[in-house]
Amino acid sequence: MIELVDVVKRFGDFVAVDHVSLNIEKGEKIVIIGPSGSGKTTLLKMINFLQKMDSGRIMMEGEEVGYRRDKKGRLILEKPEIICRLRSEIGMVFQHFYLFPHMTALDNVMEGPVTVKKQSIKEAREIALDLLGKVGLLDKKDVYPAFLSGGQKQRVAIARALAMKPMLMLFDEPTSALDPELVGEVFNTIKALAEEGMTMLIVTHQMGFAREMADRVIFMDEGRFIFEGHSQDVFSDRMDNPRVKAFLDKVL
Amino acid sequence: MEIVICRLSAVITALSLSIIFLISPASILAQPDKYEVLAQATRLVNSGDLEGALVLYRQIPAPQENEEGGVFVRSRMEAAKIYFSMKRYDDSEQMCMEILRIYPDNLEAKNLIKQVATAQTPKWLGFLKDMQTYLPTLLRATVMTLILVIITMIVSPIAGLFIALGRISRVRFVSSIFWCYIWVFRGTPLLLQLFFIYYGLPPLGITLDPFTAAVLGLGLNYSAYLAEIIRGAIESIDPGQMEAAKSIGMTYWQAMRRIIVPQTYKRLMPPVGNEFIALIKDTALVSTIAMVELMRAADQIFNATFNIFILIQAAIIYLILTSIFTVSFKKLEDRLGVYENR
Ligand SMILES: Nc1ncnc2c1ncn2[C@@H]1O[C@H](COP(=O)(O)OP(=O)(O)OP(=O)(O)O)[C@@H](O)[C@H]1O
Ligand SMILES: [Mg+2]
Repeated sequence: MIELVDVVKRFGDFVAVDHVSLNIEKGEKIVIIGPSGSGKTTLLKMINFLQKMDSGRIMMEGEEVGYRRDKKGRLILEKPEIICRLRSEIGMVFQHFYLFPHMTALDNVMEGPVTVKKQSIKEAREIALDLLGKVGLLDKKDVYPAFLSGGQKQRVAIARALAMKPMLMLFDEPTSALDPELVGEVFNTIKALAEEGMTMLIVTHQMGFAREMADRVIFMDEGRFIFEGHSQDVFSDRMDNPRVKAFLDKVL
Repeated sequence: MEIVICRLSAVITALSLSIIFLISPASILAQPDKYEVLAQATRLVNSGDLEGALVLYRQIPAPQENEEGGVFVRSRMEAAKIYFSMKRYDDSEQMCMEILRIYPDNLEAKNLIKQVATAQTPKWLGFLKDMQTYLPTLLRATVMTLILVIITMIVSPIAGLFIALGRISRVRFVSSIFWCYIWVFRGTPLLLQLFFIYYGLPPLGITLDPFTAAVLGLGLNYSAYLAEIIRGAIESIDPGQMEAAKSIGMTYWQAMRRIIVPQTYKRLMPPVGNEFIALIKDTALVSTIAMVELMRAADQIFNATFNIFILIQAAIIYLILTSIFTVSFKKLEDRLGVYENR
């Protein structure tokens, strides 16, 4: 469904993502793990065009999207309208939620449908109420984010992304900023979403995601995929990649 | 012999009578000598003998019925003025009263009595009376000050927002134009800008009336200041907000309008409130380009009366205005912060 081919991102001389290729099939759940600074967030942002890649290709349904090339072959981001349309089809959930603080939970979820999709308030409201119910926060619909717990904020953020009816959901460490006792509620929300068949790419340090919902686990280090496999492979004794092993020993 | 004596006594009688008759018309009718006395008195005044002059003036009697009273009025008026200048206010008032008893409508006497009354009230009371007298003038001028403040308060945040957005534009050309604008208008005195607009533009073929020049000067200047404040506020918003907005498909401008700018409102209130308080005081500068507002009105009245209380009164009006603004902005800030957990 979405495919990255040889994607590279540099910050100055530093190569944050180094020739990465990834094919995401419809309904697939991919978990990316790896040490801090290995380029996971950068990779997610490039899929969402929040970061411009330096070279490579992004394909959607077999067609290259999002970039043009100038005469020297350098990549240029497409016009904003095109990029925005692409983005609206990909949901993203951030480590620090980034809820809109000046809007209630309900308005946060309605914002995309109303402003981007130009849906009617009534229609958007129905969708938003439905989604808030799904993440178990219907009673908080009129509450501002500042008055929500971290777990509740992240569930509203998930509902906000889902309101755009995305074909792919990107999660960037969705539980890392949460108190341990709040991780479960967000985990369960994402798990329920996975069971509905949502295509997901999850960056996490939480091995539960890899164990319980990953079709595929990717280990990323220094901008590269250094291991890819089923979750059984990663956590089995047969795991022989020393870097993956060292990392797992640390986080488990 | 008897006849001779008789004749003699008759002559003496006639003589004495004639002497009496010769003198008495002068003292009883005195028609020509009133003027003489007046002239004499004037000479005494000129030679500095005020007391002597006063005696002479007061000798001139009140006119009889049907008699012309000009000399009498003149004498009493002169006396009243001399008493006034000697600060003998009771005597001065009495002279005036003598005139008014006969000519109740005499304006000169009435005015002098008023002056006597004013002169007798203590100085501070006079000043207070001035304050009362000129308050309407000051208040009318305050309306003009408020008009200038309100127009600038409406124009400068809107223009400031546009300038701020231009300033943070990633298009170099656009951002440097707005950088220059801010640089010039924040880097030079408002007074100079006002002078330039009002006195400097006419030679270039643009003549503005004081009001337009004042509004333009204040608007351009305050837009530059507000632009920098608004830019700071926009840049203080977590970049994650822009990312989140974009991630649901918003364009840059949608994100600015719906997500970023609204979040700046609350944090803008304290610095913008400060600017507007400065603005209230800065409107005083437009008095230099012939705009009649509170400062200029106060200055004009002060120059006419040398009454320091007029300036104090203007100061109090300024204080009232700035206090109202301070309180309102605090209220507004609290209301805009309802979404914050305090
Ligand atoms: N805008 C940027 N400018 C310069 N360097 C950047 C920028 N964004 C990321 N980097 C660098 O790129 C590298 C990869 O960053 P990235 O955020 O993708 O790592 P990550 O795997 O998500 O790490 P973490 O687990 O800490 O979130 C880091 O070394 C980071 O310092
Ligand atoms: Mg990261």
